[in-house]
Amino acid sequence: MSKEKIQIEVNGKMVTLEVEPDDLLVDVLRGDLGLTGTKVGCRAGECGSCSIILNGKVVTSCLIPAMKADGGKITTIEGLEKDGKLHPLQKAFVEKGAIQCGFCTPGMLLSAKNLLDQNPDPTLEEVKIAISGVLCRCTGYQKIIHAIHVASETIRKQGV
Amino acid sequence: MEKKKKKVLVREKVRVEMPTLAEELSTVGKSKIRVDAYDKVRGKLQYGADFEYPGALVGKVLRSPHPHALIKKIDIEKAKALPGVKAVLKAKDIPGRNGFGAIIPDQPVLCGDKVRYVGDGVALIAADTEEVAVQALGLIDVEYEPLPAVFSPIDAMKPDAPKVHEGGNLLTTAKIRKGDTEKGFSESDVTLERTYTVPILEHAYIEPDVVLAIPHPDGTITVKGPMQAPFTVRRNIASILGVLINKVQCVQTPIGGGFGGKEDSPIDIGARAAVLAWKTGKPVRMEYDREEITLSTCKRHPMTIQCKLGAKKDGTFVALEGTIYNEQGAYASLGPVIPPAGGVHVHAVVMLPGPYVIPNIKVDGYLVYTNHPYGGAMRGFGAPQVNFVHESLIDELAYQLGMNPYDLRLKNCFDLGSETATGQILDQSVGLKETMVKAKEVFKWDEKWRSAPTLKELENVEKRRGIGMAVGWYRTSIGTLGDGCGVNLHLQEDGSVLLYQGLTEMGQGSCTVLSQIAAEALGVDIEDVRVVAPDTDVAPESGPTVGSRSTTLMGNAIMMAADVIKNSLFESASELLGISPCRLVAKNRRIYDREDPSRFVELKEAARRSMVTGRRMMGQGWYAPPKSSLNLETGQGSPYFVYTYSTQMAEVEVDIKTGAVEVVKITATFDIGKAINPMMVEGQIEGGVMMGLGYALMEEVIMKEGMIQNLNLQDYIIPTALDTPEIEPIYIEYPNIHGPFGAKGIGEMPNIPAAPAITNAIANAIGARIYNLPAHSERVYMTIKKRLEKGI
Repeated sequence: MSKEKIQIEVNGKMVTLEVEPDDLLVDVLRGDLGLTGTKVGCRAGECGSCSIILNGKVVTSCLIPAMKADGGKITTIEGLEKDGKLHPLQKAFVEKGAIQCGFCTPGMLLSAKNLLDQNPDPTLEEVKIAISGVLCRCTGYQKIIHAIHVASETIRKQGV
Repeated sequence: MEKKKKKVLVREKVRVEMPTLAEELSTVGKSKIRVDAYDKVRGKLQYGADFEYPGALVGKVLRSPHPHALIKKIDIEKAKALPGVKAVLKAKDIPGRNGFGAIIPDQPVLCGDKVRYVGDGVALIAADTEEVAVQALGLIDVEYEPLPAVFSPIDAMKPDAPKVHEGGNLLTTAKIRKGDTEKGFSESDVTLERTYTVPILEHAYIEPDVVLAIPHPDGTITVKGPMQAPFTVRRNIASILGVLINKVQCVQTPIGGGFGGKEDSPIDIGARAAVLAWKTGKPVRMEYDREEITLSTCKRHPMTIQCKLGAKKDGTFVALEGTIYNEQGAYASLGPVIPPAGGVHVHAVVMLPGPYVIPNIKVDGYLVYTNHPYGGAMRGFGAPQVNFVHESLIDELAYQLGMNPYDLRLKNCFDLGSETATGQILDQSVGLKETMVKAKEVFKWDEKWRSAPTLKELENVEKRRGIGMAVGWYRTSIGTLGDGCGVNLHLQEDGSVLLYQGLTEMGQGSCTVLSQIAAEALGVDIEDVRVVAPDTDVAPESGPTVGSRSTTLMGNAIMMAADVIKNSLFESASELLGISPCRLVAKNRRIYDREDPSRFVELKEAARRSMVTGRRMMGQGWYAPPKSSLNLETGQGSPYFVYTYSTQMAEVEVDIKTGAVEVVKITATFDIGKAINPMMVEGQIEGGVMMGLGYALMEEVIMKEGMIQNLNLQDYIIPTALDTPEIEPIYIEYPNIHGPFGAKGIGEMPNIPAAPAITNAIANAIGARIYNLPAHSERVYMTIKKRLEKGI
C-alpha cells in the first residue's frame, strides 16, 4: 500500500507523518508518536479507552483512519497538562478518588474536558451523557462524576 | 507507640476490647491520595501494552472452533514456510508438562488429542510481525472429528453424557450436614422452595491481556505483564518449560483491572508466550484482543440452585436445604477444592445458607465439567451466585409471612457468638446488625416501605417505584493452608524505605494502603515508602492477590517487618538521646521519648546511625492467618478466620409497560474492621455495587451450541455512567483482632448483595419475583405480563 503524508496538530505541535490508508489513528498516536496515554481496550469503539479530542469532538481513535485526521487538531491525555501544571480536571480526579486502575482515566478526562470546554456548568445528566462513551469497570462512575463537577466549579471560579 | 485501651463498639453485648491507636494515627485512617494517581491522570503510567521491546516476535494462538472434537491431524507445513514465521508449535513441542491451571493443571497449553471448548488452544505461532502471524494462523490445517458436546451441569451428570475429561464430568462435590433438616421442615410452619439460575459473566476488565516473554542466555526467562498472581504464573511456567521455579522471573506491570480474571488469564497467555520464547530463543510479545479474551479466558461460574427454607410463624428460621449445580466448563481453573476450604465451589456451598442462624442445614454442591468456557475467580468467588439465592428466597418468605423483609433478616442474622452453617462460632468482629441498623436509618427504609402493588394497582400504573434489601458476608483470605504472605522492608540511610512484596496493584489501591500501613508502623511519611512493583526474583512469596486478603495479610506482615527495623532504629536513637529504647516512639519522621516528647531525634539521623554502626537495615515479615478447617463430608469446621459484613438497600423505578428498570439509589453499609484509607474504601464500595448492578440487570455471556454470541463490548453490556444511581457508601469499624489496625477485607464484599437488593426492589415494585439473572427489561416485562395474565 502507498504511504501518504499527513499533517496533524497534536497537543499544540504540528507533526508530519507518513501513513498507510489502513493505519488507525490510535496506532499512529501510540506507535509513531509514542503517546501511549491513549489506551486500546476493544478496537470496536465501545470501551472508549482510546478517546481523544479531534477538532473539538471526542472520538474513539481506534475507529478512525489516521488519514482522516489530516489537517486536524488533536488533544490527547499528554496535552492536558499545561507548562507542568495539571488541568483542574486532573487535579480533581486525583483528589476526589476518581481513579482506580487508571485505564479509562485518559478517555474520561478528555471526554470531561470537551464537555467543560463547551458547557462550563453541566448538570448531572449532562456529565453522565458526556462520559457515557467511556467504560469504567472499577469506580462505578460516581467519584468521576463528582470530580468533574468539582473541576467545573474550579474552572468557573479560577479559569483553567 | 503506646497502645491505649479503648472500648470500640457500640452494642452493649459486645465485650471485645480492642487496643486502638485511633486518636494517634498519622497516616492510617486518612484518605491519602493514591501513590499512582499523578502518573495515571497524566497518561504517564506504562501498562503492559505500552512497553516496547525491539525485535520481539509476535505470538498468536490458533483456537478450536469446536466445543468438543478429536484432533485427527494438524498440518503446519504451509504456515512454517511463510516468510517471517519463526515458529509453529504443536502439543508435542511443549518442553515440560503440557498443562496449566491455578489448582489442577488440566488445561493443555496446546491440545494434542482433543479440544474441549470453543477457544481451546491448538497451535502457537511466532512471527516477525502481526500481519505475518495472523496470515500464518490461516495456513494451519486442522482436521477435527466433532464429538457430541454437553452444555449444562445437569446434563453432564447423566450417566450417558459425553465425557469432557477421562475421569468423568463430576469434578468435585461439597456438602454441609448440620442438624436434621427432615425434622426441621416438619417443625416449620411455613416452607418455601425455589429454583434460581445465574448466568456466565465476563470480567470485562478494560485492559486486554498482554505479556512479554524474554529468554536469557543463562537459561532463565522473564515474563512481564499484568498479573494478579505472579507466583501462580511462575509455578505453572516452570513446570511447562520443565525448569526449576527459580529460573522463571515474573514481573508485574500495572494492571488495568482484574476482578479475579487476571488470576487465571496471565497463566494462559504467559505460558504460551514463554513456550514460544523458549523454543525460538527470542523475546515474544503476545496480546489477546477483546474478543479473544471473552472467548477464551475464565468466567464467573453459572449455577442452577434449588433452595428450600423452613421457618416458624414468627419468622424464626428452622431448616434450609440446597442443591447447587455449578458449571465448571471445560477446565478446572479455580473451581475445585484446595484443602481445606479454598476454591470457588466449596466457598459457594459454605455461603449458600447466608449469614443467618439456621439449626438444620443440608447442602449438596456438584461442580461439573461441560464444553463451555471455564469458570474461574470473579469478585466474590462463588458468593454473588448463592447470595442472590438466599436473599431472594428470604425476601419472598417475608412477604409470605406478612413480615417486613428487614425484620425477618434482623431476627435471624448473625451476631457476636452466632454459630454458622459450618459450626463456626463467630467470636469477634461481627458487625452485620450494625450495618442493617445504619442502612435502615440512612436509606429511610421505614418511610419508604410499602407493600407490593395489588393487581389493580399494577394494571393502572405506568411506572412504579419499589425498594428492596439484601445482606451478605464475605471472608477475608482464601481458606487454604498455604496462605502465607511475605514482605521485606529495606531501610535506607536517609530514613526512606523500600517495600518488596508480591501482591499486585490492579486499581484497588493496595500500593497506597500498604504504604500507609508501613509508614504508620515505622513512623515515617507515606512519601518515604516506595512499594517496588512485584517481581518474583526479589519479592518474597506472597500468594495471590485475591480473596480480599491484601490489606489484612500483607498489612500484618508489614507490621512485623517494621518492628524489626524499629528495634534497630531505637537502639541507634537510644544512643543519640541517652534514653532507654523501651521508652522510644517513632512517629512523624521522629523518634522521641514517650515520657517527654520534647526530647527527640530525627528518624533519618537514627537511620544514618544504624547504617554506620552496622545495625540491621532490613526487616522481614511473614504472616499466615489462623488455620482454616473444613470437613468436606460434613461441611463442618472454621473455613475462614474473619468475615466482612454488608447490608445494601436499593430503590428502583420500573417501567411497567416495558419492563425497563432504573436503579435510583443504593445505600450500602459495611463492617470492614478498619478503613485504612476511607476514600479508597468508598471507591471499592461504589465500584463493587455497580458491578452488582450489572449482574442484576444486564450482564450475561450468551451461549449457543458452545459458542459465545456476545464477544465484544457492543453486545456484552456492562454499566455505563448513565446507569449510575446515587450510591451511598457507608462503613462502620468493628475491629478484627487479626487485622492490622483492626482491618479486614473490602474488595469483594460490595459486589455481593447488590444484585438481590435490586431484584428484591423490583419484586416490591411489580409484585412478582425474578428467579433468573439478569433482570433485563424483557425478563421483567414477561414477569409482569405473567402476573397480569394469571390475575393474582
